[in-house]
Order: sequence, then structure tokens, then C-alpha cells
Amino acid sequence: MDLSIFTEYGPRLLAGFRLTIICWLLGTVFGAALGLLIAVAQRYGGRSVRWALQTYIELIRGTPFLVQLFLLYYGGPMIGLRLDPLPAGLLGLTIYGSPYFAEIFRSAFRAVPPGLIEAGRAIGMTELAIVRRILLPVGLVSALPALINFSIILTKETVILSIITVPEIMYQTQYMATMTFTFLEGYFTLALFFWAFVEVISRLGRRLERRITRHLIERT
Amino acid sequence: MVEASSVEIRKVNKYYGQFHALKDIDLTIPPGKVTCLIGPSGSGKSSLLRCINFLEEYDSGEVLIDGQLIGYETPGGRRMAPRRLRQMRSTIGMVFQQFNLWPHMTAQENVAEGLIRVRGMRKPQAMERAAEALTRVGLADRMGNHPSRLSGGQQQRVAIARAVAMDPRLMLFDEPTSALDPELVGEVLNVMKALAAGGMTMVVVTHEMGFAAHVADQVAFLEAGELVGVDVPSRILREPEDPRIQSFLRTYRERNVI
Ligand SMILES: Nc1ncnc2c1ncn2[C@@H]1O[C@H](COP(=O)(O)OP(=O)(O)OP(=O)(O)O)[C@@H](O)[C@H]1O
Ligand SMILES: [Mg+2]
Repeated sequence: MDLSIFTEYGPRLLAGFRLTIICWLLGTVFGAALGLLIAVAQRYGGRSVRWALQTYIELIRGTPFLVQLFLLYYGGPMIGLRLDPLPAGLLGLTIYGSPYFAEIFRSAFRAVPPGLIEAGRAIGMTELAIVRRILLPVGLVSALPALINFSIILTKETVILSIITVPEIMYQTQYMATMTFTFLEGYFTLALFFWAFVEVISRLGRRLERRITRHLIERT
Repeated sequence: MVEASSVEIRKVNKYYGQFHALKDIDLTIPPGKVTCLIGPSGSGKSSLLRCINFLEEYDSGEVLIDGQLIGYETPGGRRMAPRRLRQMRSTIGMVFQQFNLWPHMTAQENVAEGLIRVRGMRKPQAMERAAEALTRVGLADRMGNHPSRLSGGQQQRVAIARAVAMDPRLMLFDEPTSALDPELVGEVLNVMKALAAGGMTMVVVTHEMGFAAHVADQVAFLEAGELVGVDVPSRILREPEDPRIQSFLRTYRERNVI
């Protein structure tokens, strides 16, 4: 094993790690936000809104991420949507994740006891206040494990952005490996990075869950 | 004395799909009095109660709160504007069998929420008012607890405080003690008795015949979506004429003899 390559390619790899984390973070946040919007619109929208959103969900879930990304990055310019690799990648991740997030939120909303909503209505709260003050906070708590789980899945999807030349960690590792023939060292480091990354997220996730559900658990 | 509402229910019909759940119900609920709704399971007690604040929409007839139609602009007409409906609901308190406290808020926050969102109060004033309301139901020392850290009886008293803090002119109760362990029923009934003594108009769906007998001013008996009888408790509970009421009370007594 030749470790000297890390002194030469270290900065590139570090930049790659950073970009991967940024892509994951933004992809998760934007994807979850879009998913939340979809879930709320599905709950309150009319029949046609619900149908349109359901179709969107099925279309996105039914196609591979790579295909979506190529459509966006290589197909986009043909309809005037010219994006740089990074924005295209982030937009792709957001779109790719949104239906999964939407489904998570949708089932979490369904799990909110209707009585809690009725209590809000009976007291004269607006629907908007009910969503903000009751549906979202109560729903989020039950959605949390699934949200964390899917955000972990998304960490690993970020490597696909390398194919449209986003210089994230997969891209940088590939670059180093082909330049120096250090396939074993390079990809081993990459695997280690993802394992550690996921480990950190799931630990933080568990801590967050405990914090949030602390006072919700029935004392026995 | 609170300003108390009256309720006038006229020829109300309610369907769940094909199922006729309420049949031509006529009932007058006088201001400042306690009306108990009793009857077998599935007879339509909850449905009728929930029509009063339009949590359940009725299909024909009228429900008038202080002479004002709730839910529709005119009898059989268009739905009333959401804003008007919310305004009417904000003067009608409701207490549910399952308490329905918001689990992510403390007792005090549960009570303050409506004051802030509906009455437009500032948070400090709302919290102060919530504290007063909780003190009145004997929970001064539990205000910071989340519902999961309260007994069923305490949770139901918070729910009552949440409704009462809004200064309602009418209170609806749907089996408020049915989800409670027997030893916790008394504390909730006591709070309700105090409310009744204060002159609140109350409509109470209940299986507590003791409460109906001693606190109610009138008792209405429903069966299979029909209002079979309405009378003062001494008559309807002690010497009912209708055989359906007789048989209901007989079953009740048999079940409650130890
Ligand atoms: N959302 C609904 N959809 C269909 N049927 C319903 C619905 N809600 C109630 N019903 C039916 O309407 C009838 C009256 O129900 P309701 O809940 O008013 O009875 P209840 O007298 O309150 O009974 P209980 O004592 O068990 O609470 C029942 O037969 C019930 O099955
Ligand atoms: Mg009922």
C-alpha cells in the first residue's frame, strides 16, 4: 500500500468529502421540504391536485435516479434548462428524494389521532394554525425514524452525482485512483468514509429522537 | 355567572352514507341548564352532540345557538363561511372521551393555545390565564407536565380547563369519564358539577346515571337515531313510560349491581 498519495491528493479528497456532505445536507433539506409541501397539498388539495401529485410521486419513484439526473443535465438544455453540474445534482437529489419524503409525511399525518385535530377545530383554530401547531409537530415526531432512515439512504445516492462531474468524493477518488492506480487504497478510504458518515448520522438521529420523544413516552 | 347560551335543535337529520343516524331530532337546551344525553351504544348520542358545534355536519333541519344557525347560511342552504363557523365554535367548549390533549405541549400550553391562536392574546397573558384555569380544576402543581405525565383524571381536567379558559357560553361533553379508571371518575365529575353550579349551559353524553340523576336538569334518551323521550331526571330515570327506556335502565341496573 502506498500512503504517500494521500499527501498529494489529500486536499482534493477533503474537498470531496466536504462537497458530499453539503450535497447530502442540501438534498435532504430541500427534498424533505418539497416532500412536506406535497404531503400537505395532498391532504388539503382537491381531487385534481391529489391526482397530479400522486402521478408525480409514482413517476419519480418508478425511475432510476441516474436516468432522472441524465434527463435533467443532458436533456434539460434542449428545453432551455441549462444547469451547471452542482445545481443540476442538487436539484436532481431534491426531486429524487421528494416522493419518498412525501410518503413518509403522508403516513405520519395519517397517524396523528383525528381527535387532536378535532380539538383544534372545536376551539375555533384556523386550518393553517392546526397544521402548524398540531399536525406538523405531532406528525414530525412519528415521522422522525423514517426521515432519518431515508436521509441515510440518500447519503449513498450522492455518489451518482459524480457521473455528471460534480466533484464530490466519488469523483475525486476516481480521479486519484485512475491517475495513480491506487484503486484499493482509494476505494477503501471511500468505503470507510461512508461508513463513518452514516454512523454519525444515525447516532445524531437517535439522540434527536430521544430528545424529541422524551416527554411523549408514557411513564409506567 | 357566565353568560349562557341556549341551543335549539329542530328536525335534524343526519346520514352516514345510506345509514340514517339521526332522525328528525327536536330538542331544546335551555340556557344555564344541564342536559344529559343517554341511550344505548350506537344510538346517535355523539353524532347529535357533534352536530351542535358542527364537528359533524347534519343533512337537514336546524341547529340554533342563541337563535343563530350553525354550519349553514340558511336552513338547507350553503355552508357558512369558515370564519363565522370558527367564531361560533370559539364560544362552545368541547370535552372528548379521549381527552385529546396535544401531546407535545405542557398542560399550561394546551390551555394557552386557544387563547393565543383564537383569542389573539399575547403569550404571557395567555399563560397566566391558563394557570388560573388550571388552578380552578385543582392542577396548580401540574401545569408544567406534558399529558403523558398526567393521570387520566388529570388529563381530562386539563381538557376541561382548556375549554373553560376560552370563556365559552356552552359546554359539550362526550362521555368525559368513560375512559377513566373508576377511582378517577369522581374528580372529573366534581369539576363538571362546579361548572354546572356556576350556571354554564352543558350538554353531556354520559353513562353515569348518578350524574344524570343528580346534576341534570333534563335527560334526553336516544335510541336508533330517534329521540325517544326528554324529561326531568326524576321522571325519565325513575318512572319512564316508554318501554325502550325501561329496558335500557333495567340493563343498566343489572350491569351495575355488584
Ligand atoms: N363516521 C361514521 N361513518 C359511518 N357510520 C358512523 C360514523 N360515525 C358514527 N356512525 C354510526 O352512527 C351510529 C351512531 O353513532 P354515534 O357515535 O353517534 O353513537 P353513540 O350513541 O355515541 O354510541 P356510543 O355510546 O357507542 O358512543 C352508529 O351506528 C355508528 O356506527
Ligand atoms: Mg358516542
